[in-house]
Amino acid sequence: MRVLVGRGSCGEAAGAHALQKLLQQKLLEEGCDIAVETAGCIGACFLEPIISVQDGDAFRDYVRVDNTAVEEIARMLCGKPNKASDYLMNCEDAQLLKKHPRIALRNCGRINPEAIQDYIAAGGYSDFTQKDILAEIKSSGLAGRGGAGFSTWFKWNAVRNSQGANKTVIVNADEGDPGAFMDRAILEGDPHSIIEGMLICAYAVGANEGIIYVRAEYPLAIARLKTAVKQAEEGGYIGKNCLPDFSFYVRIKEGAGAFVCGEETALIASLEGERGMPRLKPPFPAEKGYFGNPSNINNVETFANVPWIMQNGGAAFSAIGTQTSKGSKVFALTGKIKKGGLVEIPMGLTLRECIFDMGGGILGGKRFKAVQLGGPSGGCIPESLLDTVIDYKALSETGAIMGSGGMVVMDETTCMVNMARFFLDFTAKESCGKCTHCRIGTKRMLEILQRITDGGGREGDIEQLEELAACIKDGALCGLGQTAPNPVLTALRYFKDEFISHIRDKKCLAKECRALLTYIIDTEKCTGCTLCAKKCGAGAISGQLKNAHSIDNQKCTKCGVCARVCKFGAVKAE
Amino acid sequence: MSDSIKFFINGQEFFGKQGQTVLQAAAANGIEIPFLCYDARVKPCGACGVCVVESEGSAKLLRACSTPLTEGQKIKTDTPRVQAARNSALALLLSNHTGDCTAPCRNACPAHTDCQGYVGLIANGEYQAAAALIKEKLPFPASIGRICPHPCETECRRKLADAPVNIAALKAFTAQFAAECPPPTKPSTGKRVSVIGGGPAGLTAAYYLRLYGHDVTVYEAMPKMGGMLRYGVPQYRLPKDILDAEIAHIQRTGVQFINNAAVGGSITLQQLRDNSDAVITAIGAWKGMRLNCAGEHLQNVFSGIEFLRDVFAYQKAIKGKRVVVIGGGDTAMDACRTAVRLGAGEVSVVYRRTLAEMPANKIEIQEAIEEGVIFKCLVHPVEMLGDKAVTHIRLQKMELGEPDASGRRAPVPVSGAHEVVEADAVIIMIGQTVDVTGFQDVTLTNKKTIAADQHTFATNLQAVFAVGDATNKGAGIAIEAIGEAARCAQVVDNYLATASLKPLQKEYRVTDTKTAEDFAFIPKQSRITAPITPLKARRNNFKEVNKLLSAAQAQKEAARCLECGCADFFECKLIRYANRYGIAPEKYSGAMQSHGLDVSSPYMYRDMNKCVLCGLCVRICEAMGSGVLGFINRGFDTVVSPELNRPLNKTNCTACGQCADACPTGAIGERVPLKKCVPLHTQATQSVCGGCATGCGVKVHSYGRLHIKNTPLSGGMLCREGRFGFIKQLKQPRVTAPLIRTDNKLIKSTLPQAAKFVLERLNQITNQYGNNAVGVCVSAQNSNQEIAEILKFAKNVWQTQNIFTFDACLNQPAEADFAAPPVVRVRARLNSRGLLDAGVPVYAATHGGIKALLMLGSIPSGAKIPNVEFLTVVDAFITPVAKKADCVLPTAAFYEKAGSFTDINGTVQQSAAPFTPLTAPTLKDILLALSK
Amino acid sequence: MDFSVLDAFIEKYKPQRGSLITILQEAQRIFGYLPVQLIEYIALKTGEKPAKIQGVATFYTQFRSQPVGKYLIMLCQGTACHVNGANVLYEALSNELGVSDGGTTKDGLFTLSTVACLGCCSLSPAMMINEKTYGKLTAETAVAAVRAIMGAEK
Repeated sequence: MRVLVGRGSCGEAAGAHALQKLLQQKLLEEGCDIAVETAGCIGACFLEPIISVQDGDAFRDYVRVDNTAVEEIARMLCGKPNKASDYLMNCEDAQLLKKHPRIALRNCGRINPEAIQDYIAAGGYSDFTQKDILAEIKSSGLAGRGGAGFSTWFKWNAVRNSQGANKTVIVNADEGDPGAFMDRAILEGDPHSIIEGMLICAYAVGANEGIIYVRAEYPLAIARLKTAVKQAEEGGYIGKNCLPDFSFYVRIKEGAGAFVCGEETALIASLEGERGMPRLKPPFPAEKGYFGNPSNINNVETFANVPWIMQNGGAAFSAIGTQTSKGSKVFALTGKIKKGGLVEIPMGLTLRECIFDMGGGILGGKRFKAVQLGGPSGGCIPESLLDTVIDYKALSETGAIMGSGGMVVMDETTCMVNMARFFLDFTAKESCGKCTHCRIGTKRMLEILQRITDGGGREGDIEQLEELAACIKDGALCGLGQTAPNPVLTALRYFKDEFISHIRDKKCLAKECRALLTYIIDTEKCTGCTLCAKKCGAGAISGQLKNAHSIDNQKCTKCGVCARVCKFGAVKAE
Repeated sequence: MSDSIKFFINGQEFFGKQGQTVLQAAAANGIEIPFLCYDARVKPCGACGVCVVESEGSAKLLRACSTPLTEGQKIKTDTPRVQAARNSALALLLSNHTGDCTAPCRNACPAHTDCQGYVGLIANGEYQAAAALIKEKLPFPASIGRICPHPCETECRRKLADAPVNIAALKAFTAQFAAECPPPTKPSTGKRVSVIGGGPAGLTAAYYLRLYGHDVTVYEAMPKMGGMLRYGVPQYRLPKDILDAEIAHIQRTGVQFINNAAVGGSITLQQLRDNSDAVITAIGAWKGMRLNCAGEHLQNVFSGIEFLRDVFAYQKAIKGKRVVVIGGGDTAMDACRTAVRLGAGEVSVVYRRTLAEMPANKIEIQEAIEEGVIFKCLVHPVEMLGDKAVTHIRLQKMELGEPDASGRRAPVPVSGAHEVVEADAVIIMIGQTVDVTGFQDVTLTNKKTIAADQHTFATNLQAVFAVGDATNKGAGIAIEAIGEAARCAQVVDNYLATASLKPLQKEYRVTDTKTAEDFAFIPKQSRITAPITPLKARRNNFKEVNKLLSAAQAQKEAARCLECGCADFFECKLIRYANRYGIAPEKYSGAMQSHGLDVSSPYMYRDMNKCVLCGLCVRICEAMGSGVLGFINRGFDTVVSPELNRPLNKTNCTACGQCADACPTGAIGERVPLKKCVPLHTQATQSVCGGCATGCGVKVHSYGRLHIKNTPLSGGMLCREGRFGFIKQLKQPRVTAPLIRTDNKLIKSTLPQAAKFVLERLNQITNQYGNNAVGVCVSAQNSNQEIAEILKFAKNVWQTQNIFTFDACLNQPAEADFAAPPVVRVRARLNSRGLLDAGVPVYAATHGGIKALLMLGSIPSGAKIPNVEFLTVVDAFITPVAKKADCVLPTAAFYEKAGSFTDINGTVQQSAAPFTPLTAPTLKDILLALSK
Repeated sequence: MDFSVLDAFIEKYKPQRGSLITILQEAQRIFGYLPVQLIEYIALKTGEKPAKIQGVATFYTQFRSQPVGKYLIMLCQGTACHVNGANVLYEALSNELGVSDGGTTKDGLFTLSTVACLGCCSLSPAMMINEKTYGKLTAETAVAAVRAIMGAEK
């Protein structure tokens, strides 16, 4: 019998640590000596905080745990009558958790990330030296989970074949995509799978040095990684002669806040202590990477799959998925989704199944409008394409990309023009500033989109956006610039009517672009309670107590506070 | 051919070498792929995106600067996709580029004369160069300088500080120094051009076409050439002798002038077309517009144009009479002021609108009023009264209604309000129309002017062009006609060579908008105008009214120029590409960066508003080991900044100037060592640096006799001495004539006198102490040729053994601050090795006991010369030693003499002479004069 | 400011190539931000060119050239937070503290800065104040959180 408390960053934010201490204290009071251990997060964010009880191989997960739930669970553990079952995860959610094989998230929430023996007990660090690593990886069909979907075998093979000495294996844990947190969950929940993945890769390509480049915004992940590295060194799994005449030293380097450092050569520049400016390719990092030596760079999730493939064989991995995309992929379902969190699904599932089956559909019963994949490099996919299969090729044909796994669901209240502006605002701020097209091009596209959402759209703006987009995609040196126009292009492709209504009719159908809204008080519904007038910062609302109020549209800054505070639904925006 | 690689550009086959990039291989084969952020001296970085090309088999566009050449590679440099990417890169860069490529005055001038150029040259006292610069676009500086209503001054930004620069008067002033003979004409092309009309437009077209090597004949109906300049503009504004001198200059190019030859009269258009390869019609607008009112046919009602054509023919009808001039333009002012000078009793001007709206030049109206002309406004003549000759005019009173198409408020008659004035003579000057007799098969516009294409000046007839007042919108100001004629000459020149009409595209220029606040810090300086003849002395004669500025006034006024145009205009790649690829960046306009100007360094300025962030300055500063410049911030806000945001002179910058040399725009540039900085199209001469014995290659940029700057050879490097050392020398006083010490002062004399003076003393000394008493000191500033001559002179003529130098050939690095690491400046001076190789010993005690010393060239700083009874110094500069000498003889400075020098490593380097020597006698002449 | 506190750390990392960012992170951890004098000091100690260090210090958003308040409010503007109304939070907090993005309140207590993504999208719209994360915020709860800290500080 083991008790694990889900303490990923989100769990911490939801108060998991306090609940862990409370449960431990309750058990001591009852004289029960079971230890309440720390675990990562199983990914069901909408159910947090979660406490799991392990009996042999079976897990019972108690969800949305609060103090009273802790008392019930404590009584249950001590064999006393209890109502713990009220907090058990309902079978529908439990079904979903088991529905698809969990490879990258296999240990997350199920082991204690700060105890190496848990990882070993789950099959970690088993001997792989007898196996032909590259063959297994090749047969598995594993491709880059960072978003580009580049064949992992091809990269490892290139690094193995290049002559240079002191090769390095680098983990890209920059995870700059807004709306994506699967890498964080793995780093916090199963750090050893990454270390073992690096070890296997290093052994296969002949590298003796490993670097994990983690973004500075993930303090908990960094802490757990440091503990794991220390334990792995102490356990002799890495470090000097960790394998027959093979040493592998791992160190952690923190990023300092630059989305562009998700791009390989910019990441290397950052590791070399420089401005994260992408470099010319060729030479590719496989030939000349970190300080000019051959380097293999893969994403966290890619490395997390490697130990599983070595244990279960490449064929087992490639059995899952489609012809062109093998294995499973973790997605971060967020936005207007009922069951937000991490879902690991086999390649080949449709978007509809992912959102409505695994994700439980749209929050608050609103109508689905679009799902955004691939963050600032991706695009939005409309309802008409919900049956698109989750596959590198199929998704890129929609204009979006697989991306690192961000899947932000939007309903009818989201304005697609403002969404496009949001992503351009992001890439314009994150552009490293080297290439003309990206440095100035994204700024000009942003200015056009800003003008449109501010009500200043004019004829020719759409053509100008399309023209600029094509030039930026052609002229930019790195992935950031080349994909920066994608969110705009997909928005234009599927939601051109919204652009036209913003430009010609100065109307925002989703009522999100404030400048195009006019707030009106419905005189029937208004009871004259004067609450909105008090709250209005611009003094734009006038009217006597008990009489219908009215809004002066010149003064109104369209902040929407009146609509929010009005208890009678009398304030409408058109 | 082992390492050679075959590749294709736009389908054509070429060969490159292993290890070359596409850009290098293309350039080696004479194909220029544009780029901004590439420089052979640093690693490529692929920032600008201007060098993109398509390569078969690659989905993405590739950057030519960094794509290694591969066997059989098929490159395309001009597909629509490449053009879209390249042009958008340039347009995006230009959308964040602030400045004025060329100054507003130059842009406003209809003939695009380089106003800032010649105003700047005048401020530096370079009057001939200024006149020559004007004549590149305008053959009549003296005439136009006097009569032009100067649209350039209307745009001059100095008006935002205090008052515009007096550009017209400066042009008239500097025209005095115009070269007598014209520049050499190009070899004859065997093509013949006929120009119909000898006015400013016709003569301008003739002048330039002749210079382009064509055979030109000008046919003019009037007895003399000059058109309106002669027969329209009165003598008191443009003296005929001034005009004749400029016309003579044109004739000296070999243009044929045929007067009294009117087309439609003695010759026909068809005749000219038959015996020439191209015809240019520049017949002007010589018919006065009629009023079409009753009584216009009466005697003494004259057409203004005819009146001005031969004013003295009207003396009788005007003298003592009451003269009424109808019209408000410049020509009306000429008419009324001419009438005053012809002794008219009373002269009045009648104009439909108000005084303020008169189109005439404000100064002309003012001077006319001073000369007694009465201005009657808001009246319009409706009838001339009198039986045979005119005696009165009935005038309709007007008031101003709504503004008409031109924006001026249209005059509306006040019903029933009339006025009758006495008038013995009436001169109608309300506009000019074109007399098209003889041009019946030429298509006309609805305004009865010749229809000519705006960009090619072609008419409907094959190889017949038309420019000036006779075309399109009709009569305008002279400079407009001249501008059209100069451009037409280029189109015709191209047409004669290629038989195709290539329109001249309007050149794109980046322009800035300034406000008064931008110039609030400028100390106020009022505008200097030339004195004008006092009223009494000018009313009754046709002597020229306006005097010319004095030289001092001209320099002072020219110094008021705010230098708006970019100093780097002639070398900027951005504007060159923008025009080559027809960029219109307005469509990408948006937020722009704005940074202050860094002029802290005496050698270079930094203006980040012109930066295209190519990063060359950062990379080359790093390559030079200084690493003073770096990027700060990210994305659109990225900017290049010296370390810790300090001004350049407060950093470790060694002023090697590499960043300024590498910068493809005007973001970093050299500060030109002139009294007044002026952007000039310099000429580059390859030479060797005179700063020390390392013998680095250098490009000397000169403009006439102005030494503008030194830059390294392409791909090369220089240290601060090589780059900016010459500036120090420009400030050193020169020896301009032989000097002899008389009662202890050096006074000017001639070479023969000075030589005699030296010979007498030297002979005395040699007679008394023998030949070896004369020491000959040869400086390392001398070339190998000069050393040989001096040795021959010393040994054979003066037969002295005491020949030595103070320049030891030491291969030691000079003080650190001067050397920029990869470039090591050595202590040894220029030709120390040359002296060593020629066997000239370094001065030592053995040379003691000399009584006279002949020093050829300066000695290294710190060297002490022995004191002797008689010292002769031959040098270009008045050095401390020369000041103590008994006789000083002038020679050419380093950049004024070609010769070979042996650098510290023994390689012989060739120096060139971009500048003509300041003083006449060469070293040979001096040595000859000093031979016994 | 006595920069010598940093010397031991610099000595330790100086031999390791490419450790400039690590040194700057430590410097900011100690001094709260990276003034020009500190950059010049690090240049002296590490031998790196000041222009390069300043280039790195101004490239990454983690590094600050101005001191920050005692409490650093990091308001997430990630995609999920944007979709769930992060801009409403920004306006509420900006009005409450009277500062805009990157500004620090006069009493030096709070610095309001927007960040790209904190990686806790399931709690969107979210913000962090120093190490503590606040999730599923509304304009009112966000202002309340700030006021709670203000109260505690008094």
